[in-house]
Amino acid sequence: MNLRAFLGTSLAMALLTVIVLAAPAGAVEFSLAHGANGRCLDCHAEPDLGTIVVNGERKSLTVDETMWHDSAHSRLDCTACHAGFQPREHTAEETAGWYEQAKLTACSDCHADEFTMYSGSFHGDLVMGENDKRAPSCADCHGSHGIVSPTSPAFRAAVPGMCGRCHGDKESTYLDTYHGKSQTLGGMTTAVCTDCHGSHSILPQSDPASTISSENVAGTCGKCHEHASTKFASFLVHVDRSTPKSSLWVWLMEMSHSVLIGVLFVFGGLHCFLYFYRGLREGLYSRG
Amino acid sequence: MASVESGIRDKGAALEPAPPVAQAAVAGRTHFRRFTAFQRWVHFFIMVSFSTLVLTGMPLKYSDQAWAQRWMGAIGGVQSAGMIHRFAAIIMVSCVICMLGFFARVLIKSKGHFWGPGTMVPDRQDYQDLKAMVGWFVGRRSRPHLQLDRYAYYEKGEFWAASAGVTVMCVTGAILWYPEAAGRYLPGIVINFALVNHSGGALLAMGFVVVFWHFFHAHLRPEAFPMDKAMYAGGLPLEEYAHERPLEYERRVREGTLDEVLVAPVGETRMKVQNVVWWIITGAALFLWAMFSLFVVWVASLWIGSF
Repeated sequence: MNLRAFLGTSLAMALLTVIVLAAPAGAVEFSLAHGANGRCLDCHAEPDLGTIVVNGERKSLTVDETMWHDSAHSRLDCTACHAGFQPREHTAEETAGWYEQAKLTACSDCHADEFTMYSGSFHGDLVMGENDKRAPSCADCHGSHGIVSPTSPAFRAAVPGMCGRCHGDKESTYLDTYHGKSQTLGGMTTAVCTDCHGSHSILPQSDPASTISSENVAGTCGKCHEHASTKFASFLVHVDRSTPKSSLWVWLMEMSHSVLIGVLFVFGGLHCFLYFYRGLREGLYSRG
Repeated sequence: MASVESGIRDKGAALEPAPPVAQAAVAGRTHFRRFTAFQRWVHFFIMVSFSTLVLTGMPLKYSDQAWAQRWMGAIGGVQSAGMIHRFAAIIMVSCVICMLGFFARVLIKSKGHFWGPGTMVPDRQDYQDLKAMVGWFVGRRSRPHLQLDRYAYYEKGEFWAASAGVTVMCVTGAILWYPEAAGRYLPGIVINFALVNHSGGALLAMGFVVVFWHFFHAHLRPEAFPMDKAMYAGGLPLEEYAHERPLEYERRVREGTLDEVLVAPVGETRMKVQNVVWWIITGAALFLWAMFSLFVVWVASLWIGSF
């Protein structure tokens, strides 16, 4: 073996080693990280891991493993959101501010478009502009470890309850409409909150760019209701029939129905019951 | 019959006595046909479509209840219930059109008889009849034998209530079926009104017309129990009919129109078949009545509980 052959072979082997170790670095890191997910779950799958208080809210440190595996993000690393966390007992440096990050900016790495829309929305402005802790960020609607596709039936069915956590009065009036009733009974074709109000870019009705502003509302109805007119769109979706404060006319109509039903049921019930009672007492039913 | 007060209908007292029933029934035609085949078929389709409309509509009204969600699942979900509801509505509207045609014919042909004897329009006598019945209900008098013409006060009341009800249900139902079309000509709040009226009207129809009124009078009133056969068999024994509606009987004898409504009783084989069908319909009706009654009791308890 001459020197040239020796040097050449050595160089080739070194190159190969570098290629094997360096070139598919992403893939290698991926597999390592997946091993790391397993290592995260070594501790975090424990049901009695304890809790932590964040923003005055008590959160469990346990991750439901089945829920995680069924989620849309099950192929991501834990550290994709929990950046910088090491597979050991976490230090204060690691955990400082992780909650805000995992809840909000962690999503923007992959979902930049949605994040931009959200930033310009009413909710986004409250969270990021006014630092309002009550307003929702990504995880408040989408969840965290159990994220499902927003187009899935389960997610759609959960939307009214999700919005209802803050907008309870709107949820109850929605559930009183055909849209809401059909939704409650498992219908998948009627509108939920987000179909009319939008999702990431929700704006108040007063904003001309809002999906429900007077300029846009007919078009929003028109997504499902062909030939929807402005008059059609003036239908009162969120009307509470039990109070005149919501809509005086609807309340009056509801009340007059209640009175009519009450009077006729009492009259009819008595007429029917007493007829039956007299008939029984006088033996009129035993004529064979 | 001494204890039964008769002749509370003044008009009846002035009439000449009608010939005995046995004499009136000619050539074996011993039965009185109260409703024509057309009327009986319309009734049948109203009965079927009404029940279907209630069974597919009520779970929507009470969508927050567990029973409604289970029942909706059992009939194939809200989507298919909506299809069935609309199909039944088409049958109901067809029946309404048939009845409107029938009323138009009555109005044109009756020439003044519309307000006359056998009318569907409530009059003073109906008020007297109701008063007499209520007197009996509360134990202030003995059981009255109402001198009825073609329709009793409870039938007239039901007719007008059902007519008003079906009009409201058809109009509001059409608005809810085609809300975009309604919204082209009318303000959107009309759709809100339609919802309130369709939902309230349904409860009224089911509770008042059916549970407390129609089912009761057609099935559970002592004279009819377990079922008034007038709408089912076509022919009632003449004696029975003449006893229950003496004024109509006497009027027809006087006018010479009794012959038009006399029919022969059905044959033995047909009677056997009819009996089977009769028990099925009666059973289904009583079962539905019990269900609807329970439902009305439940609604009443909800209503009382809301205070």
